[in-house]
Order: sequence, then C-alpha cells, then structure tokens
Amino acid sequence: MKQFGKILKFELNGYLRNKVFVGITIFLVVAIAVVMFIPNIIAALESNDEVDVTPIDLPTMLVYAEDENLSAIVKEYFGNAFVDYNIKVAEGSIDELKNDIISGNAECAFVMNSASSYTYYVNNLSMYDSNTAIADTVLQEVYRVGAMVQNGLTPEQAGEIMSVQIESGIETLGKDQMQNFFYTYIMIFALYMVILLYGQMVATNVATEKSSRAMEVLITSAKPTSMMFGKVLASCIAGFSQLVLVFGTAILLYNVNKEALSNPLIASIFDIPIELFIYLMIFFVLGFLIYAFMFGAIGSTASKLEDINTSVMPITFLFIIAFMVVMFSMSSGSVDNTAMLVCSYIPFTSPMAMFTRICMSTVAWYEIAISIAILICSTIGIGVFSAKIYRVGVLLYGMPPKFSTIVKTVFKKQ
Amino acid sequence: MILELKNIDKSFGEKEVLKGVSFVAEGGRAFGLLGRNGAGKTTSIRILMNVFPANSGEVLIDGKPIDYDKIGIGYLPEERGLYPKKLIIDQLVYFAELKGMRTKDAVKAIDYWLSRLGMSEYRNKRLDTLSKGNQQKIQLITALAHDPDIVILDEPFSGLDPVNAMLLKDVVKEQITKGKIVLFSSHQMSYIEEFCDSIAIINAGKVAISGDLHEIKRTYPRDKIVVNTTKPEQIKADLGEACIEREDGTLLIQLDGPDKKQSMMKRLVESYDVDEVKVFEPSLNDIFVEYAGSQV
Repeated sequence: MKQFGKILKFELNGYLRNKVFVGITIFLVVAIAVVMFIPNIIAALESNDEVDVTPIDLPTMLVYAEDENLSAIVKEYFGNAFVDYNIKVAEGSIDELKNDIISGNAECAFVMNSASSYTYYVNNLSMYDSNTAIADTVLQEVYRVGAMVQNGLTPEQAGEIMSVQIESGIETLGKDQMQNFFYTYIMIFALYMVILLYGQMVATNVATEKSSRAMEVLITSAKPTSMMFGKVLASCIAGFSQLVLVFGTAILLYNVNKEALSNPLIASIFDIPIELFIYLMIFFVLGFLIYAFMFGAIGSTASKLEDINTSVMPITFLFIIAFMVVMFSMSSGSVDNTAMLVCSYIPFTSPMAMFTRICMSTVAWYEIAISIAILICSTIGIGVFSAKIYRVGVLLYGMPPKFSTIVKTVFKKQ
Repeated sequence: MILELKNIDKSFGEKEVLKGVSFVAEGGRAFGLLGRNGAGKTTSIRILMNVFPANSGEVLIDGKPIDYDKIGIGYLPEERGLYPKKLIIDQLVYFAELKGMRTKDAVKAIDYWLSRLGMSEYRNKRLDTLSKGNQQKIQLITALAHDPDIVILDEPFSGLDPVNAMLLKDVVKEQITKGKIVLFSSHQMSYIEEFCDSIAIINAGKVAISGDLHEIKRTYPRDKIVVNTTKPEQIKADLGEACIEREDGTLLIQLDGPDKKQSMMKRLVESYDVDEVKVFEPSLNDIFVEYAGSQV
C-alpha cells in the first residue's frame, strides 16, 4: 500500500511535469475561453462597422416558361421564396439558358414545362442544394391557390386556408432528446478522446520503462499489482483533472458570460442536471480504468515502442465499435435499440452505452445499478488480471508473445 | 547471515530452466555466481529476489524461509537502465522509497553515495545527459542506497574505466567488510577471483560445482609445477615432453604423480637458474571452462 502511494505520486508527478501535458491543458483552457467569448467579440466587431453594410451581390436564378403568364407568376412567388437569389425571367432559347449557367452568368435555372412540372438546371449539384424542395413547395402552393380560386373561393380565402397556423405545446414526461442531445454528445466524445489518449499513454509509459530497462530494477523493487494500479490511477487522475479543468473553465465562463451566450443551443449544452454529472463521473472513472488496465497490460508485452501501435489495435477497435454503436443510435434517435440494450451491460461498452441511455431515455434504477455493478466487478477483475499479465510481460523480450500464450502462463502460475 | 538456495526448479512453459539449483552464500564473504550465457544465472537471481516463484525449492536465510519485508536486497541488473528523461535525484529517491525508505533518509543516503562516487555535480541533471559509465554509477546507487543485507551485482565492472573500477572495488570491499552477502555474477573471471571466496558454476540449469574457491582448487591433483625462468632452454632439453612452454613464457612441468613434487622442485632450484617455482593451481578460468564448457 505504501509502495502504491509512492508509485502513484511519482507517476502523477511525471504527468504534471510533462511540458506537453501542461501545454495541451493550457491550450485547451485558453481555446475554451476564446470560444466562450466569441459572441462578445462578434458583437464588438459588428457595432464598429454597422454603418457600411454593403448589399451583397446575389447569384442569379433564371426562370423560363413558354407561357409568359406562368413565368411572371413563378418569378413573383420565387422572389419571395428564394431570398438569397436574384430571380430573372430568361430570354431566348433553352440552349442559351444552359450556356448562361455553364459560363457562370447564372447559377441555376427552372424551366417550367407546365404549372406542375419543371426541369432544374444547375452546373454542379451541391450536396446541400435544397432549391428543388423549396420550388416544389412553392409550386404546390401556387397550384392549390389557383385551384381554389377556380372553384369559387376568393384569393384572400385561399390565402387564409393555405397559411393556417397550428398551435401546439410539448410536455416531456421522460427525457427530451433534443435538449439532451448536445451535452450527451459532448460528454461521450470527451470520454472517447480521454480514454483513447490516456490509454495510449499508459501503454507507452509501460513500454518505455521496459525498453529503457528501468523495469529490471522496478520489478525487483515493487509488486506488479502496485505498479499497475499506481500507473493507471495516476493517469486516471491526470486525465480527470484535465477534463475538470477544461469543462470547469467552460461552465465558469458560461455563467460569467450568460447574457451574451443566450443562444438556446448553447444554453442546452450547459443545462446539465447534477445527477447526470454524478453518473458521468462514475462511468468515466470505471470506463477509464478498465481500458487503461488493458492498455497497460498490452504495453507490458511490447519490447519496443514501435510494437505498441499494432499491439493495442484490438482494444482500440473494441472501443471504436462501442463508440460507433452509441453514436449511430444517438443520431438515429432510438437509444433503446437492442444493440444499445446489450451494450449497456457489457463492461467494455457500458460506460458509453448506459450513460447515453441515462441521458437520453428513461432507464430504471435497477438497470443502472446492475450495469454499474457489472462494470465495477469487471474493472477489478481486469485490473488484477492485467497486473498478472504485466508481471509475465515485462520480463519477456523479443517478439510480443501471443495472447493465448500469456493467458496460459498467467493461469499456470496460480 | 547465511543465504541458501535449496533445490530450486523452474520452468517457463515446456522449457526447464533450473533443475535443482542449490548454493550457499555467507555474510561477510563475496559469492560468485558463474555460468555461460543462458545457463540460468538471471533466473536464479530473480527467484532469489522473488520476482517470480520457483516451481519447487526454497530460499532460506539462516535456515528459515526468507522474509522479503525484513531482508533488504540491492540489485544491479546486467541490463542497465533507469528513466533517461528524469532528474537523477528524483529517480534515485523514488527507487529508494520503493525499497521502503522514508523520503528524508533516502535523500540523505543518496547525497552520501553521490559524493562517495564523485557524482554530486550531476544530482539535478537528467540521466540521459550522462556518459554510460556515469549512468552505471548512478544505477549502482539504486542498489546500495537503502543499505541492503544482500547486494547482487550482475556484471558490475563492464563498461567502467580503470579509475571507476577501482572505486567500485573499494565500495564492494566495504560492503563485504560490513558483513553483507555480496553476490557477484560476471564473465570477467579475474574480478571474481579477486573478490570471491566461494563460487557456484551453473551449467544448463544445474549447479556443476559450488563451494569455497580455494578448496575447489585444492581438489585438482597437485602434479604440475610452474617454473618462471629467463633460461628455459636447458630445462626443456633435459625434461623433454614433460615440459611445455606456456603462452606467458613460464614452463609447465607434468609430474608422474603428486608425490614427485618435492624432489622435482628441489632439483629445479639446485640445478637451474630459476626465478620462481610453484605448484600449479588451475585458474578460475580453467575451472570455468572445464565445468561450464560443455553445455548439455
């Protein structure tokens, strides 16, 4: 226990004195501070050059129809719908119109075949081009109003029918996915980044000791269990304090600068219930530990630093798969799908999967308790097992041994 | 204090590395653990240090199983290396603390050793700024700072210049005088011969021979005589095939039996111009080659 304390202190000091670690932390805090004050900065800039706002040169959209009446109506309606375009009625033939687009005189064109049929011409169709969708809506409206007027309604009556407003209100009895989406997303992403980064650091740390042969003295001075737990906990504390510092700065600055950041999206990010914070910490610490132990064990089997990247691949893959499942489920909106249900009880995936479900759905307390219990037991189990691999691994030089060989050796010893 | 390894067996997977290794090392005497590469020296040392357990056999101190919480062990591994990027004082204190020292005592002991080895000026430098020999001296401090009862030195002299080798010899002698068990492992036979009173030669996982070095030498038949002379021609001519000239210029005379020793020595001294006449004793090198030469 005494040794463990010494190792923890030494390893933690290693992080705190590491210039890169300190540098990145400071950079992140400064970056967060800048981001948090961007609205103020923009506001300050805008108030200065408010006067000389020049009208922007809008791109040209051409409208063409054989029937001049139709082209006039379409131009009028499109003028209201496409505020980002300068709408013009095309003169001349369709070929000339195409040339205009190719040469860049116009950006796009609508050629009306009839009141309910058109061809859209554009040079390069961008991924986010929604012009046809807007045109469809507008033309449907034109068609409907026209039909209503033909059937004896006045244009005003028709207009009223078309623009009827539905009043609605939402009362969320469970969780509001829209509200929770952003902070869940940010926290899952932070979890992902921190675990991968620090896991790699633990693996590299162990492998460095091995390749520099400091291990020869260490292994004869300290128990492998103390070594493993000391190292992993030190990295956990370092990672956690980095997170707390970065997010703490963000929350602090948000509260200082609340008025400028009145955007509802930003507000939803910071509007995290306190119990979610507690769950975040539980899942963060356990998830971090279980992966860091595995990374440490892998690090001990590598003789050279170069071997690390290939050796840790299976763990990284496992982790990325867990991340992908969670991310896809989140963006699809069904966080309670079968994959997520299963993942929330598997110790390697539950930190992200269960946490997401708690954030974005309603989960019974006993489900959470079972998930956490499984995770705690597995973390301890993996920790002890990693320490055993570590003891075998650190004295093996040469080719990284096969996983099955290590497992056999570890169990034979007991 | 007496350290005893008794019938140690150890295998890694299918491979039997140690087969019933036993030897005894006493406090106040240096013990040499010899063997060719891969014979099982490092494995024996690791079992002695409890890095991994033996399959069977015991490590005893004064007849009782060793208590690692009470008996301090200092180890200079053959594969040297500490933390290259860390300050020397920081890592030395860390290693001493791992051995159970309090921080204050550790700093005191380390400062003593740094000045003893003439390394005080490097106290607050990074390890990788030092030369290899100096790094080795730093590593020696990790083996000695916590004042261990057993000192294990694996190839301690390799890489040291003659002045540093002298310094290390003094330190080792001091440790022996303090009554510690000093365990040497080396391929440089001259050093072992200089320090060690008893040895064990391990060959292919078995102890080929062990015991007092002097007594081992005495077991060889005393039927050869070494002659140091400036005029070897006459002796060679008179004795014929029984006399051969060795590489160092001395003559080695093979007798018909140990009982002829006295008369031959008398004859050599009276009839020829000789500087020195003595009974041939095998060097440790000869013993090593004989016992460890043929690996099974």
